[in-house]
Amino acid sequence: MNTIKSPEESRKVLDTIFSDLTRSITHKDELTRFWFFILIMFAGVGLWGWIIQIDQGLGVTGMRDYVSWGMYIANFVFFVAISLIGFLISSALHLLKISWSKPISRVAEQIAIAGVALAGIIIVMDMGRPDRFLNVFLHGRFASPIIWDVTVVTTYLTISALLFYLPLIPDLALLRDRMTGKVPAWKLKIYTILALGWKGNPEQYKTVYHAMRILMILIIPVGLSIHTVTSWLFAATLRSGWDTTIMGPYFVAGAFVAGAAAVVILMYIYRLRYGLKNYFEDFHFDYMGKLLVFVSLVYLYFNINEFLVPGYKMKTAEGVHLQNLFTGAFASMFWLVQVAGLIIPILLMLIKFFRKPLPLTIISVVVLIAAWFKRYLIVIPTMEHPFLPVQNVPDYFKSYAPTSIEIMITLFSVFAALLIITILAKLFPVITIWEYAEEKGVDKKYFSEQPKN
Amino acid sequence: MERNTRRNFIRKLGATVGAAGVVGGTSILSSCNSVETSSGDKIKLLTSSGELVEVDKSQLTPAEMPNLSENQKRGREGLPGRSWVMVIDLSKCRNARECMKACQNHHQLRPEQHHINVLQMQDAEHTAPYYMPKPCQHCDNPPCTKVCPVNATFKRNDGIVLIDNERCIGCRFCIAACPYSARVFNWFEPRDAEKYKGVTYNIEANVPQKKGTISKCLFSADRLRDGKLPSCVSACPNGVYWFGDRNEDAVTNGTTKETVSFSKLIKDNAAYTLMEELGTKPRVYYLPPKDRAFPFEGDLIEHHS
Amino acid sequence: MKTKVNRLMIGILMFLALPGMGQDWQVPADQLNIENPSSYNLENVKKGKDLYLQNCKSCHGDPGKNNHLPLVPPPPDITSEQMQANTDGGLFYKITKGRGGMPQFETTISADDRWRLINFIRNYNSEKEQLLIDAPPVNAKILASVNEAEKKVEILAEYEDKSGSYQQLENAPVFISAKKAFGNLLLGQALTDKNGRSVFSVPETVIGDEEGNVTIVVTLDENYKAEQVVLEEAKVGKPKEVPQLIRKEVLWSTNENVQIWLLLSYLGAAGAAWIAIGYVIFQLIKIKRFSKQ
Repeated sequence: MNTIKSPEESRKVLDTIFSDLTRSITHKDELTRFWFFILIMFAGVGLWGWIIQIDQGLGVTGMRDYVSWGMYIANFVFFVAISLIGFLISSALHLLKISWSKPISRVAEQIAIAGVALAGIIIVMDMGRPDRFLNVFLHGRFASPIIWDVTVVTTYLTISALLFYLPLIPDLALLRDRMTGKVPAWKLKIYTILALGWKGNPEQYKTVYHAMRILMILIIPVGLSIHTVTSWLFAATLRSGWDTTIMGPYFVAGAFVAGAAAVVILMYIYRLRYGLKNYFEDFHFDYMGKLLVFVSLVYLYFNINEFLVPGYKMKTAEGVHLQNLFTGAFASMFWLVQVAGLIIPILLMLIKFFRKPLPLTIISVVVLIAAWFKRYLIVIPTMEHPFLPVQNVPDYFKSYAPTSIEIMITLFSVFAALLIITILAKLFPVITIWEYAEEKGVDKKYFSEQPKN
Repeated sequence: MERNTRRNFIRKLGATVGAAGVVGGTSILSSCNSVETSSGDKIKLLTSSGELVEVDKSQLTPAEMPNLSENQKRGREGLPGRSWVMVIDLSKCRNARECMKACQNHHQLRPEQHHINVLQMQDAEHTAPYYMPKPCQHCDNPPCTKVCPVNATFKRNDGIVLIDNERCIGCRFCIAACPYSARVFNWFEPRDAEKYKGVTYNIEANVPQKKGTISKCLFSADRLRDGKLPSCVSACPNGVYWFGDRNEDAVTNGTTKETVSFSKLIKDNAAYTLMEELGTKPRVYYLPPKDRAFPFEGDLIEHHS
Repeated sequence: MKTKVNRLMIGILMFLALPGMGQDWQVPADQLNIENPSSYNLENVKKGKDLYLQNCKSCHGDPGKNNHLPLVPPPPDITSEQMQANTDGGLFYKITKGRGGMPQFETTISADDRWRLINFIRNYNSEKEQLLIDAPPVNAKILASVNEAEKKVEILAEYEDKSGSYQQLENAPVFISAKKAFGNLLLGQALTDKNGRSVFSVPETVIGDEEGNVTIVVTLDENYKAEQVVLEEAKVGKPKEVPQLIRKEVLWSTNENVQIWLLLSYLGAAGAAWIAIGYVIFQLIKIKRFSKQ
């Protein structure tokens, strides 16, 4: 924390921070409108694809009786994965009193909310009978990992939303007090309602800190559960490639890699687009790069375990699966993901230059795309190789290729996630203003002051 | 010996229908109450052989066939005191596929959907290839019902693993969990969906099939209730299948109708179950393909993986 | 998809071609004229009959009754001209090698027994003396009762003589079966004494229903036309054990049978999380209340 500043200086610092961090809200140009147009259009096209799928049946996808889980499930796992970063950055690092990550926590929470919300929607889109979704609550079997998954997804979504909202309350009060005339009336109304009449008295701050501490502790088991339970959807079966005990930590480690990469990309976009060079500073990227290297190394360690141990033994069915990955139909995808998506990024990010904002962002994009294909490699090859031979069915039952409708619906999820993030960024500051100002030495009492003009 | 109460009841629009000795359309009419007047309203009836016939509504009398919820309840309880098992004699199979045809007829399946599938197997590189009919194994430790989120697939006390397609949400977790690839999904509208529209769902035959839900072999639970052998067992021309109640230690051959002691049959022939190392405890026993009655003429050899 | 259709078409064509192929089933010339090494006598014909009933009857049907299975090509009745036109060597070759729906008996029936089977087929050859005569079945009737205390079935068999009155059936085999779900399981057979009586002790291993009741069916062999006697629910068997398959504390059970540890862990974990969430929401209300101070 910086030294205590004089009242004038404090007010000036606060004003600067406020105007910088609300630029994302006030900023309006053609690009914004175009971006919204693109997002809504593609999301709409995806929804249209879903309507076709409901009408004609899941047969419009490339899935069939043997590969009965395809791109949707891979995509679901991907979205659950990136959402886990919210837990790591806004809770784990906070509780460890690592303060550099504070400005990043809201970015992480944005990703967490968008990721887990879309994960929930994707799983409904993958259902053969989405009209019977309520059966999950009416007839839910406590012993089914899907019920556990539904439980943790809803719990994690709620906690993430609350963890996004709680530190936002003082900011909302600031916005309510200072944005009159600068934003449309409906936005102001939202701020007013959501600010809960915030006055900034010590009891209120105390309550916010108290509630946040509870959430930060609560999100640790829930966050670990969400991805562990997702891994159990696979590990609870007898299928080769899934029937492994390290599935839980393997998924959690992989999730941190994907999520950290997503945070870096979003940070870079905000920094560039909203002129936040002084907020998402170079050292933030450096630290995020180091974090990414660390989690990637952990993930690499799990990958070695996951492939070397069964590869050493080559049990019958497991051997077929591994051969398919190492040298078979999935070999090029597999090695690209492992080498270009994991090993090379690790080696590069060990060098300081590659932890600078732009290089790190480029690496993160590669890592994130590889992370998506990694989920594809977890789901599909196993399904293509059941224990018994696949016979007496048409050839297209034997191997899987996504159809255009499937790609449309998958793109929907990507654009819908971006839409959620964009809306959050357009409504609320991307960095917590009051926390940041306090960090810069501005006392809390200045927050509730009305600006002079 | 055949019970003369081969009945199949279908309910529609509140009128329950009883038809004895269902073979064709005429026999249905003759066995119903002979009311001469015709109301002109036709009702679709499903015979136990899977045929759809149309009958005049006025010629039907209410019978004790339960409505949908009764049917579901009855279907979950199973047949008291029974423990159904199947024995498949691999030395007798010649890939005639009559079982597959009868099954697809009975359960209204598309040509690519198999409740029972005759596979061409070869266990290791130099071992003899053979044909292996593969129905659902009706495991006593079923991995599929374990994972079902809504209790749509379940184990009955008579050993059958059944599906309730009025409840299935189509998540396909059970397909992923089944190591025997025994389950199929209705990716599109099922075969003859138009034809069977409005026919009440029969949980024990899983017909009419429903789009977006799971299907699989059910040991023809509806036929068992009528005292008949499963469709595939009855259809086999080569005496491959034995079926019966393990509790009373007797199985009957579907072709020769011979009844033998189940325990003696599996002991004398060194029967085994499929992938017993997985701990699923199947209810389908295989007699090894030793001294085969027919030479193997397959072309699609894939190594057992 | 197209290759699948093609394969299907080839399959159909082959299927259609089979009947034609069946009619001229070529036997290699060197096999055709091998002579039957087993002599044509009553003993061999009788053995051949047993083998026939065991291995062939299910498809070829009863001799002379043309009740073979409706297969394509049809398995001919053994009394038919088509069957008898074969040479001994030809029949031996066909039984040994099989073709299409006809199994190969090379590994399951010994060569000697295959020759005996041919002797049985020749029993119906017009050029040979018929050693085993299928007389028209004699009308008969069975009376039977169960002695539940001693677990015995007491049988009295009578046949109709030429004058139409019933006489005791002497020295005839009686078959005792137990009715099972889909057929009768043979328990054993007994010979009638000179009074037409016999007593059959039900083996201790016989399994009945839950109370041990067995429905016993008594029949004569095919030489007699007698109505079978069905003794409903005689208490002579072991009660059948009905294991409870739907066990508690297995992961696949329904919610009614869910394991306590699972239920408690699930409800405990989810409940604790949602109580904490509820508490946080209560904090939000508190924040709002503090605003009014």
